[in-house]
Amino acid sequence: MSVKEIAKNDFTRFVGTLIRTEKVFGVQAKGDRFDFAPLESAQDLRLDYDVTLQPPKKYFLPPAEVLLTYQVGGPYQSQLDGQEFILLGVHPYDMVAINQMDELFQQDNYDTHYMTRRHNATIIACDVAKPSDHVFASSMGTAVVKKGYDILLTDIGDSFVAEAATPKGEQLLAKAKGAAADAQALKKREDIWARNKKSLNKHELKCDPAYLPKVLAKAYKHPVWEEKAKTCFSCGSCNQVCPTCYCFNVQDDVNWDLKTGQRLREWDGCLLDGFTKVAPAHEFRKARADRFRHRLYRKATYVPQKLGGQIACVGCGRCVGACLPDIANPVNIYNRLIDDLGIG
Amino acid sequence: MAKPKIAIFDFACCEGCQLQIVNLEEEILSLLGVADVVEWREAMSEKSDEYDIAIIEGSITRMEDEERLKRIRGCAKVLIALGACAMTGGVNKLKNNFEDFEEVKKCVYGKAAGKPHLRTAVTKAVGEVVQVDYAVPGCPIDGKEFTYIVRSLLMGKKPEIPDYPVCVECKANGNPCLWQYDQVCLGPIIRAGCGARCPSNGFRCFGCRGYVDNPNVDAAKDVINRFGLNLDDLKTKMVLFGSKQEPTIYE
Ligand code: SF4
Ligand code: SF4
Ligand code: SF4
Ligand code: SF4
Ligand code: SF4
Repeated sequence: MSVKEIAKNDFTRFVGTLIRTEKVFGVQAKGDRFDFAPLESAQDLRLDYDVTLQPPKKYFLPPAEVLLTYQVGGPYQSQLDGQEFILLGVHPYDMVAINQMDELFQQDNYDTHYMTRRHNATIIACDVAKPSDHVFASSMGTAVVKKGYDILLTDIGDSFVAEAATPKGEQLLAKAKGAAADAQALKKREDIWARNKKSLNKHELKCDPAYLPKVLAKAYKHPVWEEKAKTCFSCGSCNQVCPTCYCFNVQDDVNWDLKTGQRLREWDGCLLDGFTKVAPAHEFRKARADRFRHRLYRKATYVPQKLGGQIACVGCGRCVGACLPDIANPVNIYNRLIDDLGIG
Repeated sequence: MAKPKIAIFDFACCEGCQLQIVNLEEEILSLLGVADVVEWREAMSEKSDEYDIAIIEGSITRMEDEERLKRIRGCAKVLIALGACAMTGGVNKLKNNFEDFEEVKKCVYGKAAGKPHLRTAVTKAVGEVVQVDYAVPGCPIDGKEFTYIVRSLLMGKKPEIPDYPVCVECKANGNPCLWQYDQVCLGPIIRAGCGARCPSNGFRCFGCRGYVDNPNVDAAKDVINRFGLNLDDLKTKMVLFGSKQEPTIYE
């Protein structure tokens, strides 16, 4: 597969070509923040972004979608949207999250809705140019990524190094003007990778993430859960902005004829009240702490069990910035447990 | 099977919620296809005393209204509180923050304050007078949510109204949090279901859908401190729809 060096203005022209021929979602400014949105003009693309408000998971698992339409007591019809698209500007930590979701949505029940969208996507990832306020990808081993994307971009100053990783990516990259990247360009890329492996670390985890399941194995009754949950709103913001949270809720809505209807799937979150509808009213506080604990166990115990040990927090830092009472930071909690319980 | 009969009644309110129903236009015709609307002052003039579903708009502010509401409850199999006024007392409960209602009346109505039809008592939500089976939150209600609830009931199914806060929908819409832009948003303690309409348009949630069942007020106080504000900054925001209220719980 080819590795090209593309001058910045040639890259802009390349993006312009993509927009004219394909459906492109790319990172753009949203007020003084950034987010993925339909890309109308190559000028709007902001690969110098720090972090997007929402992770790109919404393109594979939308906040709400119609799974099927049905006749009451009768047959049903699957609803699938089949449009191909390009996702432009996915950071390495988000790419790792997508790779994890890909595995999860193929396990047990193969999820046709997720996987159809995933197969329709061409992902152009890009290395981080500017760390966000709360990123800790370096701690989680997700500051650089080696698989999942079709093309990987690295900003090396006046140009991008663009590496194709799949035939789809190769085909796209053929449309960009640029020569094979030389040793100098590749060296610059190596340097950026080395830098990011250290510098995307606004919060520093005190152990190799591989030890986290061991730490948590001793932490179920630790006081930290009650302490933090005291000021938890159960607002689910930490779930909603997380690239590896994928819980959903399925609900039916019948039409006015009362004979036909649709089955909807919506994002849910383990922090939300009513997620487990069994909690009796007088146990609210305890239940809040249980839900709070569940998220941290899910990231570093339950999901890793399904993913050959991979930790399901990729260190994007979004939950840290989204939590108003500032209790969601996984590093703070894991470090506290490491201090109290050790990693052995 | 005969079509179920629906009756709509209003008490102290602005009738904005009924207007939301009238505005549904096409959907109203669909509703009339599956149910008979037997009493509805805003849209028709018939009177009837038998109905399967009574929909109550407005809050209860006079003794004679309590009697009327109890009569309605007696005739209805299912009773739905429509909108914030009915569900929680809504803005009408602002009055309950004052002790001297004569003063309040003078302030609101001026010289007319003494007229007999302006008699007033402590504002009550519908659920404080009779048993409420279902409630449609909001000021005004969301028309889509209303029709979803009615359809569910006609199907004999329990409608699912969110018991999670507005932040969930706000985040699903991809909004940055308004607290980071100096707005005291009540989203974290207010019931979702409006699609986070206000924060998605850049305006803080002022709580029209009422509290979630178990709002974490301690957390709200903590956040107020974190953002260098004082408790009054929060209280003044909560007074409009949260006056004299316990969290609303309808099973
Ligand atoms: S941890 Fe923070 S973001 Fe998560 S539910 Fe609790 S208050 Fe909301
Ligand atoms: S837990 Fe927080 S930091 Fe980790 S992946 Fe999720 S949102 Fe990002
Ligand atoms: S809830 Fe609001 S819109 Fe509805 S009747 Fe009351 S004041 Fe009017
Ligand atoms: S703006 Fe309001 S509703 Fe949205 S996340 Fe912030 S507090 Fe929640
Ligand atoms: S955001 Fe808040 S104030 Fe606005 S409609 Fe929703 S509940 Fe009401």
